[in-house]
Amino acid sequence: MRAEVLKGHLDALLLATLAAGPRHGYAIKEALRAGSGGRFDLPTGTVYPALHRLERAGLIRGTWSTVNGRRRRSYELTPSGRRALSDERSSWQEFSAAVNALLGSAPWPATT
Amino acid sequence: MAGDDVSHDPAGRDAVEGYLAAVAARLTGPAAVRAAIADELRDGLLEALAAEWARGCSHQQAARAAIEEFGDPRTVAAAFAPELGAVQARRAALGLLVTGPLVGLAWIAAVAVNALPPWRHELTGPWLALPLVGLALVVAGPALGLTVATTGRLGGRLGRRATFPPAAAAVAGLAAVAADLTLLAIVTGQALTSPAPQVWGPLVLAAAASLTRGALAGRAARRCLAARAALR
Repeated sequence: MRAEVLKGHLDALLLATLAAGPRHGYAIKEALRAGSGGRFDLPTGTVYPALHRLERAGLIRGTWSTVNGRRRRSYELTPSGRRALSDERSSWQEFSAAVNALLGSAPWPATT
Repeated sequence: MAGDDVSHDPAGRDAVEGYLAAVAARLTGPAAVRAAIADELRDGLLEALAAEWARGCSHQQAARAAIEEFGDPRTVAAAFAPELGAVQARRAALGLLVTGPLVGLAWIAAVAVNALPPWRHELTGPWLALPLVGLALVVAGPALGLTVATTGRLGGRLGRRATFPPAAAAVAGLAAVAADLTLLAIVTGQALTSPAPQVWGPLVLAAAASLTRGALAGRAARRCLAARAALR
């Protein structure tokens, strides 16, 4: 699936990958890919700037550690991030229910 | 993770470093931030490399696949540009906010100690140019406020108009340069006219402060404009 399709939803999806606990950038990208059944396979390098933006927004927090002799930055949700994820989930459920009601039903009768 | 074995693949490491160099060459912004980005991407690339090995790829195939997975260096650098622009702009704005009052106090002290015309509520001789400093402050103040506001948490959440923060910070920086140059021109004019100031120490200190701040503000403005250009 193309990256443009995710426009507007990427932030919420990235937050969702951190709901279970901290992950580093590549693990977040892999969680996005695996969690979508391979449909959301973004260029990995473009996931990192989105994480930086979420960090600046105070929705996630990054910390450095050293793993296998190299520096690693891992991210976790902040309390604001948890609230934002919860809000995003609610609004998505409302939106998808409305879209399903329209697209999932039989064709509408013609009106004159 | 499987990253432990990456050190045994010099060719893979070279490919990763080559890719990182291609990305880094296209990044603008503070050196420490760019270095941190390179470290973070390196870790991800080496993880990707290890994952490809785990799938049974040869070393050569793994390096190619990992790099393809990360995307074109130009695309990756372009994706970082808004964040780097925001960081550059915020640093410049905070620097100006810290140095502005210090430079201002230095000038007020110098004017007060010498009882120069503004201290006597007069604008005569070279001091007629003083309103230009006020104009520069009127321009810089809102530009700084907007830069700080749009590069903080609110700006991160809005996530739009990425060119605005570096442009606003550049305007503030150029306004600071204009203020400093005006003050330096005024004090030079004052030194050449009579009565010359009696207490030179505070004036020299204020002039040195303006020279230093003006140079730093000019450099910051130039970097912000470069960050803005990278967003086009």
